[in-house]
Amino acid sequence: MKRLAIALGAAALFGSALPAAAVLKVVATTSEYGALASQLGGARVSVTTIAKPTEDPHFVDARPSQIVALNRADVLIEGGAELEIGWLPPLLEGARNGKILTGAPGRVVASEGIQLLDIPLAADRSQGDTHVAGNPHFMLDPLNAKIVAEHLVRVLSSLDPAGAPVYKANLAQFETSLATKMAEWTAALKPFAGRPIVTYHPTWRYFGRRFGLVADTFLEPKPGIPPSPPHLAKVMQKMKAENIHVLLVEPYQPRKTAEAVASRTNAVVVDVCQFPGGLPGTDTYISLIDVVVKRISQALASHS
Amino acid sequence: MDLLTLWLWPLVALCVLPAALVYFGLHVVGRGIIFVDLALAQIAALGIATAVLLGADAEHGKLPYVLAITFTIAGAALFTFTRFRHPRVPHEAIIGIIYIVAAAAATMVLSRTAAGDEEIKNLLVGNILLVSKGEVIRTALLYLVVGAFHYALRHKFHLISFDPDEAERQGLNVRLWDFLFYASFGLVVTSFVRIAGVYLVFSYLIVPAVCGALISSRAAVRLGIGWAVALTAGLTGLVLSTEWQSMDLPTGPTIVCTFGLLLIVCGGVAYAQMRRPQRGGIAVAEE
Repeated sequence: MKRLAIALGAAALFGSALPAAAVLKVVATTSEYGALASQLGGARVSVTTIAKPTEDPHFVDARPSQIVALNRADVLIEGGAELEIGWLPPLLEGARNGKILTGAPGRVVASEGIQLLDIPLAADRSQGDTHVAGNPHFMLDPLNAKIVAEHLVRVLSSLDPAGAPVYKANLAQFETSLATKMAEWTAALKPFAGRPIVTYHPTWRYFGRRFGLVADTFLEPKPGIPPSPPHLAKVMQKMKAENIHVLLVEPYQPRKTAEAVASRTNAVVVDVCQFPGGLPGTDTYISLIDVVVKRISQALASHS
Repeated sequence: MDLLTLWLWPLVALCVLPAALVYFGLHVVGRGIIFVDLALAQIAALGIATAVLLGADAEHGKLPYVLAITFTIAGAALFTFTRFRHPRVPHEAIIGIIYIVAAAAATMVLSRTAAGDEEIKNLLVGNILLVSKGEVIRTALLYLVVGAFHYALRHKFHLISFDPDEAERQGLNVRLWDFLFYASFGLVVTSFVRIAGVYLVFSYLIVPAVCGALISSRAAVRLGIGWAVALTAGLTGLVLSTEWQSMDLPTGPTIVCTFGLLLIVCGGVAYAQMRRPQRGGIAVAEE
């Protein structure tokens, strides 16, 4: 009797996190893929995200729960393009799960089928922590998110054929709301076409290209290298010369550096994030882009 | 139960490798040079940074490994020649200076290279959860060799650490033995930092030695207490962090905090011994 009570209690504590009908266990490296998987899989999938949305996706510190989740996963979604190269391979080695190894049907590499920017001409390390495969922050272009969503639904449907109609319906719904929102976002940023912005890391290249902003000035001298004083001086000169007043910073980037630059250039620091959940009110992919577009357009408008 | 499947190699690492660290910890605490381990690890990092500057691939090439060892041995020489028996400044001050200069130099060297600071940090600072079979076996073999060396020459090493005046009187070359001590210590520390990170190295060196010293004055008993404390902390920390999933605690810090609790327990035992000096025992410390 007592044992039963304990079992029931435990089920109430831990079981409630898993929908009863979940067919596939999905692990996502970062939360935009986790959010997509939840939206497209609905109750048929249970989703675990490895990196917190406020954590630098280039560097993630391993915790036991992550290895356990990977050990039990049916599907693993990673960004690819070397974003997770520093931490995912050892986690996978620890997890020993053949279903999600490279090339297995359960391994989804989101960057496959995406046209990547910033692919270096010469693949050497002189350009900093450059990803030889190209810039991995492609999910900030909503049209890339659409490609990834289709990719993901193909994989979910092949691993869970009974759920294919559900996944397809969820995809259609996602694409419809994305199309509606896309029109809103484009309209909101249209007045600022061609305007330059400064970002800490080359995270916003795809976003800028899609919405007509020039996001190719960075506080980092090379990707992954902390800002040096001479480089910051150059950036500040450029900001004054070109009248740049908007500086984007993400949760795990040093806000102090951004503030110091902003205060010397009469610019405004805008808190953004590339991952759902990293800002208040951004639980889904669409709500994340919504909040980011709103914040950036407001900052640009206030300095017009 | 994932302990024997998913966490097998962390478990083996935590059972086997600390044996060497606890032993060195007794020496380090006895000499009063608590931060020498961090300084040696930082010197090894400077070696890796230099290799990257020379164009080596930090993760795979041979050069980073060779330079890490070369720099560690050079560091051992540096510590040997800065240890004076009747010093005007404490040795710990010099160790602190070496640490901070090595850290600053590594940052300067890295600023001339394309690799990020974090990348080197990741290479140098491991996570015990991710340790691989190969790493555990290689490191265990290294420790076995170092351990055999120290066991064979234990009386000499004991003398130069704890009674350098007597060592001199016996005609020992204190500088040479000091150098051998620091060089072997450097190899042990640097390889453990790569597996488990700086927090765990420091904890495994210092806490068991302090627990042992609180309870007993005999070297062999201290070593026994130290080993028991290290094993208890490692196993408790690993099991707590892996089995208590609703908390999802990071493993390294859980072990470090377990060490803190064990130190309090040992402090309690030492206090009880002080009150009843005739019945001071060590059995309680196994707890």
